[in-house]
Amino acid sequence: MAEVGKIRIKLPQGIKKGEVIPVKALITHPMETGLRKDKAGKPIPAYYINDVKVYYGNDLVSSMEWTIAISADPFMTFYVKADKAAPLKIVYKDNKGGTFEDTVQINPQ
Amino acid sequence: MKENIGLSRREFIKATGAACAAFLMAGTLPGLVKPTSAAEAEEKIGDVLKRHFGDRKIETGHVDIKAPIIAENGAVVPITVTSDLPMEKDNYVKKIYIYAEGNIQPYVASSNLTPANGKAELALRIKMRKTSNVRAVFETSTGKLYEGIKSVKVTIGGCGG
Repeated sequence: MAEVGKIRIKLPQGIKKGEVIPVKALITHPMETGLRKDKAGKPIPAYYINDVKVYYGNDLVSSMEWTIAISADPFMTFYVKADKAAPLKIVYKDNKGGTFEDTVQINPQ
Repeated sequence: MKENIGLSRREFIKATGAACAAFLMAGTLPGLVKPTSAAEAEEKIGDVLKRHFGDRKIETGHVDIKAPIIAENGAVVPITVTSDLPMEKDNYVKKIYIYAEGNIQPYVASSNLTPANGKAELALRIKMRKTSNVRAVFETSTGKLYEGIKSVKVTIGGCGG
């Protein structure tokens, strides 16, 4: 398993002020359901991201609740209106208390 | 009937029944200590919708789901839920709910939105246990509910692994 919690956020090029832009984000995480068993027949404990928050500047733009039905290494695309030069921060939390975050700067022209 | 058998039929059933129950308990007990034990009980989509929306009316329309018609791998099914509903200050989509109806737990994810999103659209990769509908419900800030449904054929289920 690659490093858990590694995040990559991708913004489009040449953002114009006021433009609604797609933000793509990928995080490395096993998203283990808790329903699977290992080769010895022992249940593999659930280990998944259940809370995702997106901040743009000081504002909470989106907050998501995820379940075990999100695929491993979750990849998502959502939208924000790029109306200011500000950092965009994504914070992921998992059911074992792990918190992972990354920030990119949005600089509309 | 032979009367000389030590165990009567009724007693035999009782004894084996108890043994079975004990076996099943032993099998499920380790599961009970897991935080996800509730997830193992299969939930029907109707019950989930009832839990989320009560008796509120859900209208069709304004919600579009993009998903493959055939998903070769149920562990990774890319879906996009989108809507032409406005994202204005006093009239916007405030929450998106996503369900995979054939999963043991049909509730997949939800997202709270704000007008700062600019567009009510979300793309995720989800797990699907079997061929079933993907359903999305969009809740507006004015209190309306809209849903879209799309059938996805799954050739290899993605929950057990």
